[in-house]
Amino acid sequence: MKSLFIILLFLSQNIFCQKYYTRTGNTEFKASVDAFEPVEAENKSTTVILNTENGEIASLLLIKAFRFRLALMQEHFNENYMDSDEHPKATFAGKIHDFNMDEIVSEKEYKITGILNIRGINKKITTSAKIIKTGDQIFLKSNFSVKPQDFNIKIPSIVRNKIAKSVIITIDYELSEKK
Amino acid sequence: MTKQKTLILLFLLSINHSFSQDDLLNELKSETKTDSSYELPAFKAVQIGNLQSTKIAGKGDFFFIVAHRFAPFSDGIDNFFGLDDANTKIQFVYSFWDGVQFSLSRDSYEKTYSGAAKFSIKKQSSTFPINIVAYASSDIETQSKTSDFPTLEFKDRVSITAQILASRRINKNLSLLIAPTFVRQNNLQQYIQTNDSNLNRFIVGIGGRMKISKRMSINADYGLNLNRHEDSIYKDPFTIGFDIETGGHVFQLVFTNSRASNDSGFLTRTRGDWFNDVAFGFNIVRVF
Repeated sequence: MKSLFIILLFLSQNIFCQKYYTRTGNTEFKASVDAFEPVEAENKSTTVILNTENGEIASLLLIKAFRFRLALMQEHFNENYMDSDEHPKATFAGKIHDFNMDEIVSEKEYKITGILNIRGINKKITTSAKIIKTGDQIFLKSNFSVKPQDFNIKIPSIVRNKIAKSVIITIDYELSEKK
Repeated sequence: MTKQKTLILLFLLSINHSFSQDDLLNELKSETKTDSSYELPAFKAVQIGNLQSTKIAGKGDFFFIVAHRFAPFSDGIDNFFGLDDANTKIQFVYSFWDGVQFSLSRDSYEKTYSGAAKFSIKKQSSTFPINIVAYASSDIETQSKTSDFPTLEFKDRVSITAQILASRRINKNLSLLIAPTFVRQNNLQQYIQTNDSNLNRFIVGIGGRMKISKRMSINADYGLNLNRHEDSIYKDPFTIGFDIETGGHVFQLVFTNSRASNDSGFLTRTRGDWFNDVAFGFNIVRVF
């Protein structure tokens, strides 16, 4: 009986450890308004983990790792808008619906739902993602939009018309099997 | 046997449950070893008021700074409380590499051209308590005429300032700075006017910023001259300022007893008395 459990434990670990992972995921956001300076930045060190057995997915990034074209804009972003000293991370935890490893040999679109946490505030996100497996890697692309006020980010009136009401977040992840 | 099956089923269910989304997230959190803390910068503008701060333009940042220093309020209504007279400084700041900035400027005070460089040596972090920055500038005065001073040479127009700037963001709202400073004052005019033969000046600059809201702060800086000649007509410069920052601009409103805003000028050659000769001025910083 005991040995059966141990065997089961090993088996189940194997079965439930089909995970794909990256540390260098690309997350971008754009809050630009036409005719004004572009307000956009790129984070190339997003960590993402995908459980290919059940389609569960989680990601984490450091706010300070967003790179802007203007260093001063980056400083404003961290200090005045995101309070990166108090809330250094943003996370997402969710699920790819009806995910099936066998289907993604050609690109397929899936629905993703989950909780986005920015500045310690949770928001439910529903979007779709294009997923394809090429060689040993899974490629995942998606975009969705959020509003600054959803995360209690205050935009002062003087710059209000220079920052988009809705911020588009674009993700592009290349996941490799986690050993 | 059925009991065994139930146990196995329960076991499987529990494992399944243990790999829920939150656990994936926790797995990520435990693997993110890089330092996640963000150190707030001590200062937002490259100057506190007149004194340099430890702020350095980021790589590729281009700042255009216009500074005005009006005449003292004590001029009264006849001179519209000093606003009829203004010294204007136009300055360009650029950074080619991370942690290094260069600037060129022209101040109408004594028609002075200046070039300056600023280097970051150490940044405040969880392992180091202060920001350390090296700063050097040279000011070339072009107002003196050889017709007035027949022996005037180019070197007599050039004054040099060298500073170590050390600052610390004490907490979210308060930043303090100390700046041991050396000024080599070669200005011929000043030599003749004051008979102050002490041209190598040591100054301790001190300054600070107190944020009063996310985008506004009250600033002050002071330059304590250590070896000024006792008969000198010059005084220590003192500046109180108010910063308002918007996205791409910083507006710095200042009240100061100095009419010059170039480094060697305001540090060693401030004439105004702090109580009687305070003047209004401003720096507008525009970032491209």
